Amino acid sequence: MKKKTISTPKSSVSDISVLENQALSKLNSGQYKDAIDLYKALLKQANNAEWRHALAQCYLQRALAFAAKGMVKEALVLWENYAQNAEPPHEAFDHYISWLLQTNDMAKVKTCLGQLSAQQLDEQYPELAGLLGLLIITGKISCLELLPKDSVFMAHLVIVQEALSAFRNNKLEDIEPTLKKLPFRSAFRDFRTLMKATLLVHESVEQAQALIAKIPAASPYRQAGALLNAITHDGAALVNDLFQLTPPRIKIIEAIKNYNKKQIELLDVLIKQQNRLSDKLKFNLAIQYQTLLGADLVQPYCLAALSTYSAGQRDFIKHFGAINDFEEWRLKALKCERDGDFYDAEYYWKQGISVLKTRGAEGAFKIALIMRHIATHQKSPEEVITWLIDSLYADPDDRESYVKILQYYERQEQETDAYKEWLDKSIKKFPIDIEILSLAIKASVRNKAFKKATQYTQALLKIDPVNTFAKQVLFTSHLAHARKLIKSKNFHLVEKEIQQAEKITLGKRYQAQAQLMRGFFVFVGEDKKQGEQLITEALQKTNDGVFNAQFCVIMEALLLNVPIAPLLKIVPPLATDYLLSQQEIVRLTQQIQQYADDDSANQTYLHKALEKVKAIIKQSLKQITSEETLLTLCQCLDRINHFELLRVCVKIALSQWDKPIWKYYRVYSEANGNPTKCSDINSYRLQESLKIAQEQKDQRATALIGKFLDEYYKSRKSSVFNIFDSLFGGNDDDEDDDPIDELFGHLPDDLFDQLERKTVEITKKTPPERMLKLLAADYFSNNVNKMFDLINDDPEAFFAFLMLKAADDLGIDIGVTSEMIVKCFKGQKATSTPKPFPFF
Amino acid sequence: MKSPYKILEVTEQASDSDIKQAYLQKVKLNPPDRDHEKFQQIHSAYETIKNATSREKYALFNYPEADFDALLDQAFIASQPILLSADHFDKLLHASIDDNTFLIDYPKKTRT
Repeated sequence: MKKKTISTPKSSVSDISVLENQALSKLNSGQYKDAIDLYKALLKQANNAEWRHALAQCYLQRALAFAAKGMVKEALVLWENYAQNAEPPHEAFDHYISWLLQTNDMAKVKTCLGQLSAQQLDEQYPELAGLLGLLIITGKISCLELLPKDSVFMAHLVIVQEALSAFRNNKLEDIEPTLKKLPFRSAFRDFRTLMKATLLVHESVEQAQALIAKIPAASPYRQAGALLNAITHDGAALVNDLFQLTPPRIKIIEAIKNYNKKQIELLDVLIKQQNRLSDKLKFNLAIQYQTLLGADLVQPYCLAALSTYSAGQRDFIKHFGAINDFEEWRLKALKCERDGDFYDAEYYWKQGISVLKTRGAEGAFKIALIMRHIATHQKSPEEVITWLIDSLYADPDDRESYVKILQYYERQEQETDAYKEWLDKSIKKFPIDIEILSLAIKASVRNKAFKKATQYTQALLKIDPVNTFAKQVLFTSHLAHARKLIKSKNFHLVEKEIQQAEKITLGKRYQAQAQLMRGFFVFVGEDKKQGEQLITEALQKTNDGVFNAQFCVIMEALLLNVPIAPLLKIVPPLATDYLLSQQEIVRLTQQIQQYADDDSANQTYLHKALEKVKAIIKQSLKQITSEETLLTLCQCLDRINHFELLRVCVKIALSQWDKPIWKYYRVYSEANGNPTKCSDINSYRLQESLKIAQEQKDQRATALIGKFLDEYYKSRKSSVFNIFDSLFGGNDDDEDDDPIDELFGHLPDDLFDQLERKTVEITKKTPPERMLKLLAADYFSNNVNKMFDLINDDPEAFFAFLMLKAADDLGIDIGVTSEMIVKCFKGQKATSTPKPFPFF
Repeated sequence: MKSPYKILEVTEQASDSDIKQAYLQKVKLNPPDRDHEKFQQIHSAYETIKNATSREKYALFNYPEADFDALLDQAFIASQPILLSADHFDKLLHASIDDNTFLIDYPKKTRT
């Protein structure tokens, strides 16, 4: 490349000034090479001290820049140019000596060291002092006679040599006091740290490592520290350290670690591969160095490694014997699960279960665990429950499974006999289990089986005397029973029931409710006046306001099946323009919830009662400002399916709060809670609201909208299918008629492929006529004609038998028999009728 | 990943009470306020093997990891702590310097 030259104008005062400015500009902008050329040109004009100083600075900066790039030889030349143009003392003299050491120019090193003053060595050049210290104590250079005798460095060197001598003479107790003489700022500070760490390795590896970590990254002792750190490591961590080291250093560590021939041999292989070990190599190394790696670890390792290195199967069997049947299925199932393929995993688990069935009690427990495990991967709750129920046949003592089964049935809208059956079983099995007792209580209350509810509640309260749920249920159960007795005019038993309710300690409000019931009982069955008195007192105690007192009286009259008017007279009348306070609305919501909890049949009575007071509620809602109050009321109205009031609530809410939850309730109430009645435009609105709810992390709205939209889509999908069904005569199940799919559809894809490959292999080896005879011998008691008839009707039957033979040859139980194939193809023939052309 | 047995430093034959003992000991040394992650690891290990059923579940449903590092840990384990001599120390110091250039060969960044 042509060297770039800088034009030098002819000498005139103005030209020199221009040149000087250019040079200064280059110097200031860090373009030292150009600046050097310009200053050289200027110095040809006149020997100006300022220019020479600037030139020297340019050389120095370039030297440092080259050294930073690792170009030490170039740095040396440039520093020497700097020294020629600069007056002593020279800058970066310590760097220059370091560079000389790195280029092994010992003659110049010695000259320079001879020029060093004590102050320079002790104070100005700490890095050089540190490096010189290490080189001197390791005997790499001999220059003691050149260094200033009066320097602190020399004094410290004596201390270091004392410590080393104590170490060599095994006077370990002398080392610590000697090293203590070295001050913090000594050139041998990191030497002291390293030596201390070396002595600590035997006692505490952790403390030694902590000391090594204190050696700065730029310290000349850092590499020795790294070697010592590797020595403190074992196993994989050590091997990882060795990957970073040169062969001679590895040899030193191997020697210090006192490794045997086998260990060194294995290390050599590992280091040659430099952490790029293939699965195959690892597998082979594990087998080859079994004794060294631990036979108990190698076998499970190799077994696990087969999933990524299947070619090792033969070696595995050779060294460890055949893998047991169950283990093989288990590993296959787990591998599928790891790949997210739960369908195939289930198939392999089922194979494993077949093996375990022969293993008695131990096998049964494993079967149960596997079934419960499979249940966790099922998509539909029905499948989950089926697996859990099956698991209880193998291990009937698993409480968790019972609870899950009960919870599943409890969530069903219609209570089934199965639920009752499982409740009975569970209670028998776990008579003092709080969770199961609670479920039994809920079920009994729902079925109005008050005696049973009381019995379960008493059992629960024996185990947990402060269980509020049980107390509330027991209380409600007593009152509901009292109502039943009043209705059936069994008045002599009512008082006892109320007294039992009063015995339950739940708070003043519950006591007042019991008294209220007594009032109704006396009013209906004994003395109207006394009854009125009792009801008035009880309503005063509850202090819920006139409106709620009226609502309560209406509800109780409806529940007791007595005329409302005489009872309503007991309560003060409501003004036509009466408005409920927020507090009254909260209490009304609680009352509705309580009646809804008591008995699901109350919904009709609740609707009737609300019908009588809804005008006041509608007016009162307009003044509600608390969103939470309105939302709770909405949830309550949703629960009892009172969509008329729900729509009123939503209208008021949406005028105040533009939120996804309110948009949901609007659509929901407009559709009367039925997603099939939701319009398309409303479904789009809900989709938008769902997005917003997700963005706002409103989990309640997200869940409600998501569920509603799911049901909406399902209803749309089924109605679309119905249209197609009617158009095409419902022939969409053609695919299910494929007998091969019916027989072998349950097999995982890889197993199906394996069998298919085997069928090709079999047919290549054996001609068709011979094959027919073989199949007839195996599966048709040598009746070739029968075999031929079947194949003649449907040639695919031949393939089905070949698949069966392939499975038998491979020793795999695929759960298909020759009878099943015959049945499948014969059934196919019987049902295959000409299909009508669409629209005709 | 370490097995729960390794985390709690118990054998696969350990009884329920041995495992509980080891767990409590570990929790004492690693309380949740000191190192929450470590505590979680210990707690999770205990939950995995605390009784016969959970151990059976672990044995059935834990996919055996082909952990080659575990084999190396076994192969290069020190039977006793190393006592470094002055000779070893000298060798380390000498090995840290390149003979030709006196250049301190700083260690490369190691794999974490």
